[in-house]
Amino acid sequence: MHDMRIRGVAAVTAMAIASLWSASAAAQAPAATAPTTASKGPAAKAPTAADWAALAKLPDFTGVWELSFGGGRGGGRGAARGAGAIPQGPQLTAAATAKRKELQGVPREDNQTANCLPPGMPGIMGQPYPMEFLLTPGLVTIVIEAYTQVRHIYTDGRPLPADPDQKFHGTSIGHWEGDTLVAETVGFSPLTEIAANVPHGDKMRIVERFSLTDPDTMSIETTVTDPDVLTAPYTSMRTLKRHRSWAIAEYICEENNRNFVDQSGKAGINLNQAGTPAK
Amino acid sequence: MRAAILSALVAVMLAFTVRVDAHHSFAAFNMQGEKTVSGTVKQFDWTNPHTWIWVNVPDGQGGVETWAIEGMSPNFLGRRGWSKSTLKPGDKVSVVIRPMRDGSKGGMFVRATMADGKVLVQTGEPTEP
Repeated sequence: MHDMRIRGVAAVTAMAIASLWSASAAAQAPAATAPTTASKGPAAKAPTAADWAALAKLPDFTGVWELSFGGGRGGGRGAARGAGAIPQGPQLTAAATAKRKELQGVPREDNQTANCLPPGMPGIMGQPYPMEFLLTPGLVTIVIEAYTQVRHIYTDGRPLPADPDQKFHGTSIGHWEGDTLVAETVGFSPLTEIAANVPHGDKMRIVERFSLTDPDTMSIETTVTDPDVLTAPYTSMRTLKRHRSWAIAEYICEENNRNFVDQSGKAGINLNQAGTPAK
Repeated sequence: MRAAILSALVAVMLAFTVRVDAHHSFAAFNMQGEKTVSGTVKQFDWTNPHTWIWVNVPDGQGGVETWAIEGMSPNFLGRRGWSKSTLKPGDKVSVVIRPMRDGSKGGMFVRATMADGKVLVQTGEPTEP
């Protein structure tokens, strides 16, 4: 826990230095220079009035949504948990079965979410908190309340990266098939899981199909493929309900996190009241 | 048939378990145990990832001992009728908890009864549409 905090401070400091550096680098760079980082903008050109008008023809995904009761929570670290949680869905290769057995033999009492590390994909889409969909030209943004996370699904025609960085949410591109948004995602952090005790391989790919089944109900069909881990595509369904009156709330996990899990997998709680924020 | 009903029930319970807590496991709590903590609210932390109720309980020797009770997040509770002033310092309260396994003075919130008999819970569907 303490160690986490120190690392957190170091990370924030590093980020602050990095942002200062990039700000000064940007100020010195010629205006016409294309960005050299992986985070290219959604379009090389500014959106036009026609681009904004075209959004009105897409299905209305905007607003705040939450998984409905029995709406298929689960999948990924932070959703199913504990040594006894055996995923029903994924069909595993012999190697992945052996790996799962090995991990179950060293029972973790908890996952890194107890230390405020977000679950990443696909678990972040199964949290008991709402998410907000935003549609802008060439981009679908999902603001996820749990752990204050954001996903970007680029719909501007760019290809998936050939050699993606490994990220908690991967890199997503999307396209519309009629009224269905189809998002493909590659490049995941090794800190994410397909299901409890099922780590993914480098070639994991996730395809999500988002569609409205009635005006305020969204269906998400999620298919995970991973040739190193799965012998068949692993498909799960989730159902979300739209809550027109809701707003996304703040969720700063580090605000007053008393839970922790240590390196050996042992969970605990800090009940020391000193320094407690009442808010 | 009975097995089917049982497995359906287990599935619902699992779904419910995941629903009420996605941040951490229940490993630190004795989920079969139950204890009632009665005293006076010292402080109510309306914070993420969990709310915490600090309750001063008479120790029988003229002093108090403070119990720490973990609850759902303000985000979850705020959509179910709770607010930061649902519990205030000085409120008399009786809280049923799943006690800490290690015997320390804490546990997980199950339900609370206020001095006027009002019962507070942290489960159920959102109260806002």
